Amino acid sequence: MTPKEYTFDAGYQPQVRARRGTREIMLDVIIALLPAVAVGVWQFGFAALIPVATSIASCVFFEWGYRKLMKKPSSIGDLSAVLTGLLLAMTLPGNTPWWIPIIGAFFSIVLVKQLYGGIGKNFLNPALAGRAFLFASYATIMVNWNGWLGSVDAVSTATPLAQLYAAEPTAPTISMLDMFLGKMPGCFGEVSTLALLLGGVYLLCRKVITWHIPVSCFATVAVLTLIFGNGGMNHVDWMLYNLLSGGLVLGTIFMATDYSTSPVTARGRIIYGIGIGVLTVVIRYFGGYPEGNTFAILIMNCCAWFLDQLTQPRQFGVTREDVKAKKAAAKAAKKEAKEAAANG
Amino acid sequence: MPFKFHGGVHPDYKKAPDVPVTFITPPPQVVVPMAQHIGAPCKPLVAVGDQVTMGQKIGENEAPVSAPIHSPVSGKVIAIEPRPHPLGDMIPAVVIENDGLDTPCTDLAPLTEEELNDQDAILIRIREAGIVGMGGAMFPTAFKIRGGLGKVDTLIINGAECEPYLNGDHLTMLNHPEELLKGIQLARIASGLDKAYYGIEKNKQDAIDLLNSLHPEQYGVEIVPEEVKYPQGGEKLQIKAITNREVKPGGLPAGVGCNVISTQTAYAIYRACYEGVPCFERTLTMAGSAIAHPVNAVCRVGTPFSYLVEQCGGFVKEPKKVVLGGPMMGLIATNLEAVNIKGTAGILFFTEEEDRTVENPTCIHCGQCLTVCPMKLEPLYMYKYFQKRDFEKMQQYHVLDCIECGCCSYNCPGRLPLTHSFKTAKILFAVRAAEEKARAEAAAKEAEHK
Repeated sequence: MTPKEYTFDAGYQPQVRARRGTREIMLDVIIALLPAVAVGVWQFGFAALIPVATSIASCVFFEWGYRKLMKKPSSIGDLSAVLTGLLLAMTLPGNTPWWIPIIGAFFSIVLVKQLYGGIGKNFLNPALAGRAFLFASYATIMVNWNGWLGSVDAVSTATPLAQLYAAEPTAPTISMLDMFLGKMPGCFGEVSTLALLLGGVYLLCRKVITWHIPVSCFATVAVLTLIFGNGGMNHVDWMLYNLLSGGLVLGTIFMATDYSTSPVTARGRIIYGIGIGVLTVVIRYFGGYPEGNTFAILIMNCCAWFLDQLTQPRQFGVTREDVKAKKAAAKAAKKEAKEAAANG
Repeated sequence: MPFKFHGGVHPDYKKAPDVPVTFITPPPQVVVPMAQHIGAPCKPLVAVGDQVTMGQKIGENEAPVSAPIHSPVSGKVIAIEPRPHPLGDMIPAVVIENDGLDTPCTDLAPLTEEELNDQDAILIRIREAGIVGMGGAMFPTAFKIRGGLGKVDTLIINGAECEPYLNGDHLTMLNHPEELLKGIQLARIASGLDKAYYGIEKNKQDAIDLLNSLHPEQYGVEIVPEEVKYPQGGEKLQIKAITNREVKPGGLPAGVGCNVISTQTAYAIYRACYEGVPCFERTLTMAGSAIAHPVNAVCRVGTPFSYLVEQCGGFVKEPKKVVLGGPMMGLIATNLEAVNIKGTAGILFFTEEEDRTVENPTCIHCGQCLTVCPMKLEPLYMYKYFQKRDFEKMQQYHVLDCIECGCCSYNCPGRLPLTHSFKTAKILFAVRAAEEKARAEAAAKEAEHK
C-alpha cells in the first residue's frame, strides 16, 4: 500500500515564516545609512572612506576571530558586525587616521558585544561605546575637524555645536540650511540631518524601527532647549541649532533604536527616548563635552532592561480597572500579613 | 464597522479560491477513527462483517462532551482496530470496505417545518448528526450551544478564514450561500437568539456581495466585513472585532456572552436539519510545493492521505512536512496512512522551500514579537524564562494566555521557536500541576494514616 517511505519533519509551529530575518534587517539599516555616507564623501572627500573601510573590515574580523577562537558558530553572516563598523566610522571625524577605527572596533566588538554573548545580549551600543572609548583615549585626534573640505582657517573648523556651547556662546557661522544639508565640519556620518532623516523615514516605512524612541527624544530636546534657551539668541533659533548640530540625529535615529540596548515595550521606548533627550540637553548645558548624545544613549542603555520590567503591557482582556483592583488586592494582602505578623 | 485588535501579521496568503471544487471519489477503503472531537472517544456500534450504509451511526458515546461518528460510505466493516490517527498515536478505527454504491442511511429524516423552528429539536439533531467545530478545534457543537444558553447574547459565525492556503470556507460561501444562511439561522434559533453576526475577511469580497444579495436579514444574519489580518479568525479576536468585548485571560467566550461557530459547521447544521445528512464530509484545501497541483475538494472523512496525494497528481518534490489545517496553527502529521477527519480544513505538503529554520536561532531583542502579539504578551521574555524553566517568571509573563496563533514566530527575524516553546511550556505547567496534585493527595493519605 505504501508507495514510498518518506521521513517527515516534526516541524515547529508555525510552518511558514516571514522572509525577513536578522540579516535582512541589518541590511535595511545599512541601506538607510547610505545617504549619510554619500554626504560624508561629498563633504570630506573620498579619502574619508578609508577609515570607514578599516572600521568595517576590522569589526568583521574581530567578530569572526572571536567566535572562531571561542569555538562558537560564526555570526558574521547576520551583517551586524558590518553595521557596527559602519556606525562606528560614521561617528568619527572625516580625517581620522586609518588605524584609529581598528582600536575602536576591538573595543566595540570584543569587549562590548562578544564578551556578553554577541548580538542581542550586549547592554551597551557597541558602536557608541567604541566611539566613547576613542574620544576618551585620543581626545586630540577625535576633535580635529580639519578634514572638512570647506575648511579655510581655524575659526571655521570649530563645529557649530562647539560654537553654541563655547564659553561665550555665539550663533554658528554656518547657515541653518547648510547645517541641515550637511555642509559643516563634524563627524563623517553626522553632518547631514537631511540624509539621516531620509534614512529614518526608510527604517520607519520598512518597520525596522518604531516611532517611539526618535519622536520622544527629538521632542524632549526641542522642548527643553526651547524653554531654557541660551546664547543670547531667539529661543526658536537656539532650539533648531541644537537639533541640527552634533550627533543628535544620527544617535537618535540609528543608535538609540539599536535593538539589543533599547526597551521593547512601547511605553518603555517612550520613557527611554525622553531620558536620552533630557540627558543630552543636561550634558550639553552642564557637561565638559559639547556632545551629550553619545553619553546620554550609553547611560540610558543601562536602564533599558529595567524599563522593560517596569512597563509590562496590559494584556488582552485586562482593563485598567482590573490592574488597579489587582494592585489594591496585593496591597491589602500585604497589609494583612503585616498585621498578622504584628499580632502573632 | 468591525473593531480592531492589536498586532497580527500579513502572511503570504497563497489562496487559490478560483480552483474549482472537485469531489474526491471515496477510496476503496475508508478508515474512520473513533475520536474526531474533543472529549470522550466513541465506542464502535458495529462489528466486523456488518453491512453499513452511508451516514449510518457507527460510533457513539453517551458522555455530554462527545459526538457520534457516522459511516462516510456504504459497504462492509472489515476491521475494527487501532490505526494511525492524523494527530499522532494509534486510535481505534472502523475500517470499511467501500461498495461504491453510497447507499444512503435513512435514520435521520429531514426535520419538519415545525421542528426547524424548535430549539430543542435542532439541538438534538446537531448532536445526533455528530457535528463538531469544523474550523479545527472539533469541539462538539451541540454541547457548545447548550452550554451557552442563558449566558450568550451574541452568536458569531467565523468566516474569516485567515490562514494562508485554505479556501474551504470561502468556497462554501460561494457555492452554498443560501444553505449557509439557513444553517446560521438554525444555529441562531438553537441558541435562542434573534440575530447572528457573520464575520468575513474583506479578501472574500465576492462572497460578501453574494451573501448580502440574498437578504441575510431575513435569516437574522448580519454580514460584517473584516480587516484582512491574521489571526482575524481566532475566536477571541473574532469576538473583539464584532463586539469589542475582550475575553478575560483564562476565560471562555461565553464569559463575555459570545459563542463562535465556524462556517462549515453552520453548513453541516443545514445539511443535518434540512437534508438529514450527518457530518461525514467537508470542503478542504490541499496545497504546498510538494504536490503537482493544489486542489479544493469535497472529501469524505476517513480518506487516507496517501490516497488524497494521488488525487492531487502525486508528489513532484520530496515532501518534508505534512501540515493539517493552515500553516500558522496547523499540526504536523507524520504518517501518510493517517486519514482526514471532521476538523481537517486543509492538508499542506511542504518541501524545504517553505522551510525557514536556521541552525542558531538568536534573539536580537528587536521587539517585533510584541508588536505582532494579539494578546499583547511579551514573547521574547516568555521564551527567555521558558529556556530557564523559570515557572514563576513564565507565569508573570502570562505564558498560559498565549493563544498559539504563531504570529511571534512567524515574524521573528532571529527565527526563534517561540510558539512551539509556549506550547511546550503549557504542557510543562500541566505536568507540574498534576505532580503537585499527586503529591498533595499522597500527603493527605499519609496524614489520614497517622
